[in-house]
Amino acid sequence: MLWVDKYRPKTLAQVIVHEDIAQNLKKLVNEQDCPHLLFYGPSGSGKKTLIMALLRQIFGPSAEKVKVENRNWKIDAGSRTIDLELTTLTSTNHVELSPGDAGFQDRYIVQEIIKELAKDRPLDTKGKKGFKVLVLNEVDKLSREAQHSLRRTMEKYSAYCRLILCCNSSSKVTEAIRSRCLNIRVNAPSEEQIVKVLEFIGKKEGLQLPSGFAARIAEKSNRNLRRAILSFETCRVQQYPFTSNQAIPPMDWEEYISEIATDIMKEQSPKRLFQVRGKVYELLVNCIPPEIVLKRLLYELLKKLDAELKHEVCHWAAYYEHRMRLGQKAIFHIEAFVAKFMSIYKAFLIATFG
Amino acid sequence: MSDIRKWFMKAHDKGKGTVSASKPANAVETKGDSVPGGQENSGRKKTSKYFPAENQKARDESGNEQLPAKRKVQNDSSEKAPPSKKPSKVDVDDDFVLPKSKNSVDVTPSKKLKSGSGKSVAPKAVDIGESDEDDVKDLESPVKSGGKSRGGRGAGAAKGPANGRGKCGDIDKRDEDDVKDLESPVKSGGRGRGGRDTSTGSASGRGRGGGRGGFMNFGERKDPPHKGEKELPEGAPDCLTGLTFVISGTLDSLEREEAEDLIKRHGGRITGSVSKKTNYLLCDEDIGGRKSSKAKELGTKFLTEDGLFDMIRASNHGKASVKGESTKTSVTIAPPLPKRSPLKAEVKTALTKSPSASVPSAKKRGQLLQHSSLPWTEKYRPKSTNEITGNQSLVKQLHDWLAQWNKQFLGSGSKGKGKKQNDAGAKKAVLLSGTPGIGKTTSAKLVSQMLGFQTIEVNASDSRGKADAKISKGIGGSNANSIKELVSNEALGVNMDRSKHPKTVLIMDEVDGMSAGDRGGVADLIASIKISKIPIICICNDRYSQKLKSLVNYCLLLSYRKPTKQQMAKRLMQVANAEGIQVNEIALEELAERVNGDIRMALNQLQYMSLSMSVINYNDIRQRLLSSSKDEDISPFTAVDKLFGFNGGKLRMDERIDLSMSDPDLIPLVVQENYINYKPNSIGKDDSGIKRLNSIVRAAESIGDGDIVNVQIRRYRQWQLSQTSALSSCIIPAALLHGQRETLEQAKRNFNRFGGWLGKNSTMGKNYRLLEDFHVHFLASRVSCSGRETLRLEYLTVLLERLTNPLRDMPKDEAVKQVLEFMNVYSISQEDFDTVVGLSKFQGHPNPMEGIPPAVKTALTKAYNEGSKTRMIRAADLVTIPGMKKAPKKRIAAILEPSDDVLGEENGEALLENENTSDTEDLEGTTDGEKLQADLQSLNSKGIEVQMELKGTGNSSAKKAPAGRGKGGGRTAGSAEKKGGRGSGAGAKRKR
Repeated sequence: MLWVDKYRPKTLAQVIVHEDIAQNLKKLVNEQDCPHLLFYGPSGSGKKTLIMALLRQIFGPSAEKVKVENRNWKIDAGSRTIDLELTTLTSTNHVELSPGDAGFQDRYIVQEIIKELAKDRPLDTKGKKGFKVLVLNEVDKLSREAQHSLRRTMEKYSAYCRLILCCNSSSKVTEAIRSRCLNIRVNAPSEEQIVKVLEFIGKKEGLQLPSGFAARIAEKSNRNLRRAILSFETCRVQQYPFTSNQAIPPMDWEEYISEIATDIMKEQSPKRLFQVRGKVYELLVNCIPPEIVLKRLLYELLKKLDAELKHEVCHWAAYYEHRMRLGQKAIFHIEAFVAKFMSIYKAFLIATFG
Repeated sequence: MSDIRKWFMKAHDKGKGTVSASKPANAVETKGDSVPGGQENSGRKKTSKYFPAENQKARDESGNEQLPAKRKVQNDSSEKAPPSKKPSKVDVDDDFVLPKSKNSVDVTPSKKLKSGSGKSVAPKAVDIGESDEDDVKDLESPVKSGGKSRGGRGAGAAKGPANGRGKCGDIDKRDEDDVKDLESPVKSGGRGRGGRDTSTGSASGRGRGGGRGGFMNFGERKDPPHKGEKELPEGAPDCLTGLTFVISGTLDSLEREEAEDLIKRHGGRITGSVSKKTNYLLCDEDIGGRKSSKAKELGTKFLTEDGLFDMIRASNHGKASVKGESTKTSVTIAPPLPKRSPLKAEVKTALTKSPSASVPSAKKRGQLLQHSSLPWTEKYRPKSTNEITGNQSLVKQLHDWLAQWNKQFLGSGSKGKGKKQNDAGAKKAVLLSGTPGIGKTTSAKLVSQMLGFQTIEVNASDSRGKADAKISKGIGGSNANSIKELVSNEALGVNMDRSKHPKTVLIMDEVDGMSAGDRGGVADLIASIKISKIPIICICNDRYSQKLKSLVNYCLLLSYRKPTKQQMAKRLMQVANAEGIQVNEIALEELAERVNGDIRMALNQLQYMSLSMSVINYNDIRQRLLSSSKDEDISPFTAVDKLFGFNGGKLRMDERIDLSMSDPDLIPLVVQENYINYKPNSIGKDDSGIKRLNSIVRAAESIGDGDIVNVQIRRYRQWQLSQTSALSSCIIPAALLHGQRETLEQAKRNFNRFGGWLGKNSTMGKNYRLLEDFHVHFLASRVSCSGRETLRLEYLTVLLERLTNPLRDMPKDEAVKQVLEFMNVYSISQEDFDTVVGLSKFQGHPNPMEGIPPAVKTALTKAYNEGSKTRMIRAADLVTIPGMKKAPKKRIAAILEPSDDVLGEENGEALLENENTSDTEDLEGTTDGEKLQADLQSLNSKGIEVQMELKGTGNSSAKKAPAGRGKGGGRTAGSAEKKGGRGSGAGAKRKR
């Protein structure tokens, strides 16, 4: 088992990193009533862990007995019926699903499926809790319409159904939903905290950690705890005993994007743009979400960029990311960004070096 | 004509040009001219009458181009020199271009030539004086502009042949020219071309050496060096009639298409390759390709673009002067115009001929028109099958079929019927298909007539619904019933007295037009065909129409093709002759092309045009049909070619919209795929490439807009935005970037690629499904609850390490054991393993499976399959709710049956399969179905094995499992069933 999962805190009491939140949640639940919750924060900060621990706190160990269902839903949407397939994780008391997976049909998931799930009264009413919990992942990926349909559901069935929403950015969740939830911000753990966790794991695994090694991993992980633990383990697989200057392997896709960035910086021409398109396609085909590609690409470019261009480039990256969300074919917008960058950078080079 | 010739001509003319243009030099001119005599002199004045005009034009042009600043400081005569080069070239070209076309003209040419040469000697004196000036000027010029060495080389190369190839008495002058040539290229940055280039000054034209290799590459034709800088000449419309041109290489200012258009407009003909019939090879530089060598072999004349312009222009001037002087005696015209006269004479004869020819024909036409008020389409409808244009073989086939029909289906009686039905030729009906106006109905009728059948035609104007069952026995009320009646009654008729009764054939016209009103029409038609005792000919436009899908099985299919434009032109010519219209073949071919093979439309157009004019030429047709061109099916590629083509900028907006809307889904994709490849011709000089890049940025943004608009259209059904979508996703990028296409990859053909998005998107979809499968297994392991994205972004690297590293480094058995253990923890199946590997593969990076010995791979697969018997299957927790899909039930039943006997075998197979897949890494291959089968089987075995190892903690989760559905109660049955459900679920997914 991977260390990430092995040392994941199972209960609120075990939580190391966000102890304060854990304590608050514990109190909240113990007071019998639980409002709708919205967890938000960067990935790898422990939202999911907190949610699972919270569920365990509410329902006891049965919350861990989940089963995976791959359900097909037939939704009657006026003139046609839509077939949707959705994976849900269910236990007796809670259902977990990612409505964002359905793409642009997420509206129907919210309108039909979630409503239906929310409508059902919990199976064992003799249990101590009189409600069930719906965990919705990646709410920020939901389209506006889906979010609008969600808010009515939240009110209507609040008597016996609580929603726990989980997302990265609360700014992509509509105001209406945010105001109906108790918002819990889960910060990215600080590097010291990450180091603490890594050392904890190292101790449990009985590993010799060279000084500064954990710190380097923490630094590389970009304050993403999961990342840190995973790359810690990758290092372990690749080489043990550790050496203090051991290379920390980057993620495959990050490596690839940084290659793209190098390509772009080297030459700005239609030909290069064409090659970059091929590489971006490669990333997208390998299931790297386009937003991540764009973000990472910007990050890599900024590293190599002249300070005076940074602002402008960031502006355009944001601009094209917004357009990407509005649109459907991500590659068009990433390509537009790359082209824009090339033109800015080339103009800059010409202006500077003639 | 090679460049060399032109250079010295230019020089020679330059002298002359200045002479006629500039006053200070006039004295010298008269001195020189005094030798040939007074008549010559008068001719001179005549010429000079139009010379200044041209001079002016030339100067205007050169005014646009920047003259080097220093040039202006120089004295008057030398400043005038560069502009005057152009007209001068005209003269020379005339000299040796025209003799060919002069054949028909009278004796004067020889005299003219003489006088011409005499005169060409005369200005020599002037030249010498002037060339001194030139020398001085040119001495300066190298300093002015760089690239001297290059230009020098070009000139040097030119010099050799020039000396070798010179003609008659111009040697001394040529020397002069050589000197000049040596210099002028220097100024023009290596263009190696006198005259014009001196005026363009530092314009970085294409170097002579550099341009050469490019032509060999297909499609990599260079831009014309002086694109759009020259004014297109206007000439008499027929001045090139009867001449055949072949274009080779890059022209000086025209794109190939423009040149073709120009020639066609003036009645010339363009062919693709040089043959004996070719009159001229149009090329501006001798690039030594196949065309030019062939042309040399055949003795075809070489013609430069300027030469062409001059020919055309000359015709016009000739005409103008003819008009001007027609008040005088026509005899005097020839001598006074020393150089023009050959051409003019020709034009004149053409002009005098044409009225005489057209007047009587007009009269004739008037008579003809009185006789007939029929539309031509009816009047000239083919009277026999031989007259049908094109598709003769099909007509023959139809004829044979019809001729055989009675024998085949009636004569032989019922005994051999079943057998014959299999025979290809033994369809009882025939389906003619093809675009409108290519003679389907006509041929059907003609063939029937020829064979003595009486035709009954039923077309879209008749109601063709399903025959009413009740009435069908009795009197036919509706049309459909009468068909039925006809079809069945004919049987009686035929049987009773065939000899007396005329044979009948039913022509069902426009069967694809059977629409809403004709409910059940096609089905009824098929029924009719089955029972029919008469032949039925069905005619449709689109054979692949959905409506006709069932019909085609019962019919002999004959697809009419469009006749070629030559075939059509021939036929149209016959009609035109019969109607007494003056029209040349090229114009008719153009017409044929415009109407896209529709003879009926061509005839209609011709008739319409004949009302207003008796002489129809190429230009008329172009203008007329520009607006009334037919809607044609164009492929997305053609549409994109047109939008982005060189002339893309000249298209009207509605044309662009039409093009981009011809397939609103596909064209934006093709545009997006290819827009980077175009070198925009609207941006002008672009050394650094920044302008092009900026255009690309704007285009890319616009394409993005198109995507956003498209979302609005599709998701929110805002169809009124579709034009906006077309505008932003196709038209704006095309407007920004249209031009020459270039290849960005080595060894790729220079054609538009198909939009890559579709393929990539579907691969992406497939990978997401695989990832989702993996994710489900991953979740089912209950160890982690991460999302799919996290799984890909963060887990995948470490998973890959854990899965492949041991295989690479550790001894076989140990490695396999360790990997299997890890796979079990996360319930990673063999397919998931492949998914992980597949998703970690990046182009240009080493394959993650590299370095793993095949033996280890095999061992892993084997161990996995063995292990599957005893493995705890957590994925069994995955349930597909029964009843949602039909298929599972059966499979579950099958799976629940013990299948121990086949197990070993199946596993063996599965092993083989898996080996295959892990070796080739091909997850999508054709083996999918089989693999799935094997998969199911192994799952099956797992399902059984679950019984042996009950999961200790599993009880609580089994609560929700539907009770009493399997044989055994509780957990075991539940899990087994779930297992099956999962398997089939995967199956359904894969198949998608």
